[in-house]
Amino acid sequence: MTREEVVNKILAVFEEEFEIINPGLDDDLREVHEFDSIDAIELLIEIENFLDAELTQDEKKAAMGIRTINDICDYIMTLAVTHTESES
Amino acid sequence: MNRRVVITAASAITPIGHSKKEIIHSLLNGVSGVKPLRTDNLLTRYIHSGVFGTVDYEIAFDFKRLYRKTMGPVALYACQVAKEALEQSGLQPEFITSGRLGVAFGSTHGSPTVQREIYGKFFSGSNERFASIGAVDYLKSMVHTTAVNITKMFGITGRVISSSTACTTSSQSIGFGYETIKFGIQDAMLCGGADEYDTTTVAVFDNLLACSTGFNGTPHRTPRPFDADRDGLVVGEGAGAVLLEEYESAKKRGAVILAEVIGFACNNNGGDLILPNVNGITQTLQIALRDAGIRPDEVDFISAHATATKMGDVIEAKAIHAVYGENSPYISGLKGYMGHTMGSCGAIETILTMYMMEQGIIAPTLNLENIDDRCAMIRHATTLMEHPIRIAAIQNFAFGGVNTCLLIKKFE
Repeated sequence: MTREEVVNKILAVFEEEFEIINPGLDDDLREVHEFDSIDAIELLIEIENFLDAELTQDEKKAAMGIRTINDICDYIMTLAVTHTESES
Repeated sequence: MNRRVVITAASAITPIGHSKKEIIHSLLNGVSGVKPLRTDNLLTRYIHSGVFGTVDYEIAFDFKRLYRKTMGPVALYACQVAKEALEQSGLQPEFITSGRLGVAFGSTHGSPTVQREIYGKFFSGSNERFASIGAVDYLKSMVHTTAVNITKMFGITGRVISSSTACTTSSQSIGFGYETIKFGIQDAMLCGGADEYDTTTVAVFDNLLACSTGFNGTPHRTPRPFDADRDGLVVGEGAGAVLLEEYESAKKRGAVILAEVIGFACNNNGGDLILPNVNGITQTLQIALRDAGIRPDEVDFISAHATATKMGDVIEAKAIHAVYGENSPYISGLKGYMGHTMGSCGAIETILTMYMMEQGIIAPTLNLENIDDRCAMIRHATTLMEHPIRIAAIQNFAFGGVNTCLLIKKFE
């Protein structure tokens, strides 16, 4: 999974689920797009589906500080590595 | 403190129309909003009643996603009528967000549609691995979803009351809102109720043998309040909102005053949770008259709860007779037009009564063709008539033995 694939997936989720079209990758999602804590929880479900993995409570709590699309992509890339290692 | 309370805006979504013009047209022309029960592939094939008071027109819910995302169907209805009432009122955003405006709004269940989706995931076993309850599912389905979606959308920071007492939900909302202003706690209250289409509500009443089943092929002929051939209630959907304001401040800002709330009563039968109780209802009607400081003969019109159940209509007729005597005011059962819109019925029936008050008409009880002898001791409106309404009573009763009576007066 490349970072470009992750970015495209997240942008698609933002358009389909949150009606946020082509946000800037470094936009503050809360300030610019009214993306709030409820949306963050919904996004975590999408990320679990995307990774085909169940996130731990600590992993989910770590996501609460995320502010930008780039932050989300970093978070997913890290999770992908962690969960691949744990499966192997 | 004992302040006057007036109604300065109203909006309703009903099975007989959305705009005031549509609703009045339906009342004038005897149009029924009862249609065949929707098929949802869930329970309908087991339900004996095949009718429903249906909102069958499109409503453009033009809400931003920020607000829409926490709304199930019931909150969409509630926020739509709340939006229309606030727009109609002309209240400025500075007042709406000042803390001087509160909200009293409720529904029977929250959103049963969303609740079914939640439990469907649990019971289907299809989503065991991932969190199957979304972050917004509770916010859409909780009992106070209507009230707090309204506060969120308009930035309302005053008191929140969210009654959930089935058929008296929104009459309580208006009554509690009235008392909140009357006693100086808030200067204005946005009050009402809503309920969405829900098969399980129909199933509950069907199981209790309370639903109409004999007119499935001719839905417009049921319910039949006070009629000898009535065979039960018809569940429906809808929403109603009224804006209540303290009289002096409404007058000062030049608000259009639609009516004045002059009395309210709410009590409980103190016993059976299903069967209506003539003593409890009689006391409610008497307490409301005392609260308003008026005599029974000053009331010109009664909007009866009149669900068209065999026993309920007789008990209500007895209570009206006990309070008003032989020369009772004219009485209509407005559910004849719409079915029983559950948590929204008190607000909707208050709004329809205000419309009739303004038009100087009394719409008859639809489908009342042959008055049941046991209900015949009160004065039924059986034909459309031009008749001034100066003071009207709106009566509603709920499972749980809750009774309410609102008294409103034409503003002169």
